[in-house]
Amino acid sequence: MFYLSLSVLAAHMVLIIIGAFITVLAKSLVRALTGLIMTLFGVAGLYFLLAAPFIGLMQLLIYVGAVSILIFFSIMLTQASSVGEEGQKRRRLKVVYAFLSALAPAVFLGLAVIKASIPSLSTPQEIRAADLGEFLLGPYLLPFELISLVLLVSMAGAVLLGFEKRKKR
Amino acid sequence: MNFLTFFHLVAVFLLCIGLFGIIWRRTIVGILLSVELMLNGAGLSIMASTQLTGTANALGQVGTLLVMGLAAAEATLVLAIILVVAKRFGTIELRYISSLRE
Repeated sequence: MFYLSLSVLAAHMVLIIIGAFITVLAKSLVRALTGLIMTLFGVAGLYFLLAAPFIGLMQLLIYVGAVSILIFFSIMLTQASSVGEEGQKRRRLKVVYAFLSALAPAVFLGLAVIKASIPSLSTPQEIRAADLGEFLLGPYLLPFELISLVLLVSMAGAVLLGFEKRKKR
Repeated sequence: MNFLTFFHLVAVFLLCIGLFGIIWRRTIVGILLSVELMLNGAGLSIMASTQLTGTANALGQVGTLLVMGLAAAEATLVLAIILVVAKRFGTIELRYISSLRE
C-alpha cells in the first residue's frame, strides 16, 4: 500500500514536470495551454492525494474549467498565430538570463527546503467541507469578504476595459 | 527526505519554471501561462505545509482557495488588458509594446 501511494505520487509529479516544460517551451500557444492544463490536472491529483478532495475539485472547476477557457479566449481573440511570435529564434543572451532567473530560487529555496525539512506526517487527515465553511465564515471572514471584493473589482475593471474599446470604434 | 520535502520541491520547481517562462516567452499570453504555473506552485506549497504537519488543516485549504480566487481575478483582468493591447497596438508581442512612448 505504501509503495502504491508512492508510485501515484511519483506519477503525478512526472505529469506536473512534463506539463510545465510543455507550457514554457512549446512553440504554439495552444499547445502550451494544453501543457498548462496537464500541470493543473497533476496538481489537482496531488490535492486529492493530500486528502483534500474539496480543494481538488475546486482546482478542476476554477482552473481547468474557467481560467484555461479564459486563456484560450485570449489566444483566440488576439489571433496569436500558432507559429508566429513564439516560433522565432531568440537571442542567446536571453537563454542565459532565463536560466539565471530560474537558477537563483532553485538553488536557494531548494537548499532551504532540503536543509530545513521538518518532520511530516505520512497520512494527512481529511476534514469535512462543512468545517471548511465554518472556518471561512468564522476566523477567516475578513479575507473571504476581501476576495469577493477583489473579484468584483476585477470583473468591473474587465467590463470597463472592454466597453472603452468598443466606444472608440 | 520526507513527503513534505517532495511536495515543497515540486512547488519550488513550479516557481522556477514560471520565472524561466516569464523571461523566455515573447507574448503576453505566454507570460500569463507562466504566472499561472507559479500561482499553482504557491497553492501546492501552502496546502502541503498544513496537511502534512500538525497545523490546522482548514488554514491551508482556505489559503489555497484564496490563491485560486486571486488567480481567477488576475486571469480576468489580464484577458481584458490583452484585448485592449491587441486592439491598440495590433500585436501582443512584448518587443513592440515595451516602450512607454513612440
